[in-house]
Amino acid sequence: MKKHILSVDDEQDIRELLQESLSMRGFRVSTAANPEEARKIAKADRPDLIILDFQIEESDGFVLIDEFKKLYPTIPLMLLTGAVFGKGAVREVIEKKVSSYLDKTASLSQIVDEIHRLIGDPEAEATKK
Amino acid sequence: MKENIEKRVVGLFFLMLVILVGVAWLAANTIRKSTDKSAWVNQTHEVILGANSAASLLHAGDASMSAYLLTGDRRDQENYRTAYRAMASQLVVSVDTTKLNPYHKDFLSLTNLIGQHINFTRSLVQAREQGGEDAARQLALSHPDGSSTADIDLLVRQINEHQDNVLKQRDAEAVIQAKETTRVIYAGVVVNFALLLFASVLIRDDVKSRRIAATAMAEANAQLEAKVQERTAELVKSNQSLKKENLERRWSYQALDHQFRYNQLIVNAISEMVFVISKALNVSRVNPSVTHVTEWEAQDLISQSIERVLQIPADGPANPILTALNEGRELQERPAAVVTKSGASLPVRFNLVPLRDDNKVVGGVVTVRPWMGPPPKPAGPAASGPH
Repeated sequence: MKKHILSVDDEQDIRELLQESLSMRGFRVSTAANPEEARKIAKADRPDLIILDFQIEESDGFVLIDEFKKLYPTIPLMLLTGAVFGKGAVREVIEKKVSSYLDKTASLSQIVDEIHRLIGDPEAEATKK
Repeated sequence: MKENIEKRVVGLFFLMLVILVGVAWLAANTIRKSTDKSAWVNQTHEVILGANSAASLLHAGDASMSAYLLTGDRRDQENYRTAYRAMASQLVVSVDTTKLNPYHKDFLSLTNLIGQHINFTRSLVQAREQGGEDAARQLALSHPDGSSTADIDLLVRQINEHQDNVLKQRDAEAVIQAKETTRVIYAGVVVNFALLLFASVLIRDDVKSRRIAATAMAEANAQLEAKVQERTAELVKSNQSLKKENLERRWSYQALDHQFRYNQLIVNAISEMVFVISKALNVSRVNPSVTHVTEWEAQDLISQSIERVLQIPADGPANPILTALNEGRELQERPAAVVTKSGASLPVRFNLVPLRDDNKVVGGVVTVRPWMGPPPKPAGPAASGPH
């Protein structure tokens, strides 16, 4: 059974790129453009990881993070945002709220490595078997 | 090579077929001859039987006639007549049967002799009927050779001997022919067997070579398949790698674009005027606040000197922005005036932050905000920079 990742981002290009890239690496990826869509998907098909953007239409990442943490306390959350937070208090606060925080300027391989750290690497597990 | 073997095998089987047909023809011919000979032998036996039968009937007839001559009994007369009639019939049949045979003349001679004998017996019978028993005896004694029975018997024996000799000769010929036929059949069988053996060897060699070729082809196919699979795996891997690389590039581009747009939004959101300038003080970028305050369009300002809109009071021989950029230092809260497109002069304060690339100053960012205090001193010569 492939691990399920839910990506929430209001930018279509980002959603498509993440879906394509993570699917290639053995994950099953669902995407949502807004919080409402994300809630529906998470309810219907519980994800193993939720990737969130900070800036989302109709809401913001903080609200959604708090909501998802309350609804699904065991699911790791990754904040992937283009709103660059420098090293300092803000970043420290954010990192405490989520399991992982990455800038969108991070490379895809860095993002994938971080996902592997959080929920494992399907390709490596398949090789072991 | 394979075509040659096939041709040879086909040729061998054709040769075997020819030999088989030859042997079969020879066997059939021999059987036909044997059948013909059998008919001839039967006929020969009939001839012998006919001659012997004729002689026996003659002797039987003679015996009855002798009895008749002695007794005059009519039954004896009837008996010899019956025997002679039967003999005559037998002779007619034998003469007719041997019409086309070389010993036909022997039967003609026998018929002639028997005819003479019958004539003599007739004369004896007439003598007996006319002169009685004595007359018949005298006639018989007067013609000691009249009956010629001995000649008839001799001729019959000759015919029998002759037929026996012919039969023996034919038997010998049949034995020789049977032997020859047997030899030919055995030879045909042996030759066919040898040819079959040779064809088997050819077929076995051909099958062996085909099997070796098939094995070699299977091995070559397996190797090719393995190479194709290996190459396909490499291509898939390479393709995956390229895909990942492409995704990584698209991601980077997207991230940069996003970051650029985000920064642009932030810059554009600033109410202060922002000028990005080169080291020669030419404007490379302005924010919307600049166009809003100065009434100049961005394209009117890009590549023009910042001194066109920002007049700085003279405090030295050179523009302080130029000096600060050359020295790589910042300027804070410096007084200046912004000249609008309509010619109005607005008092402002400005900051300068040098832009560095690899620790080398390549330009600067000038942020300008309105100043509500006293206007700055008029711009000195230093303010008239390059346009």
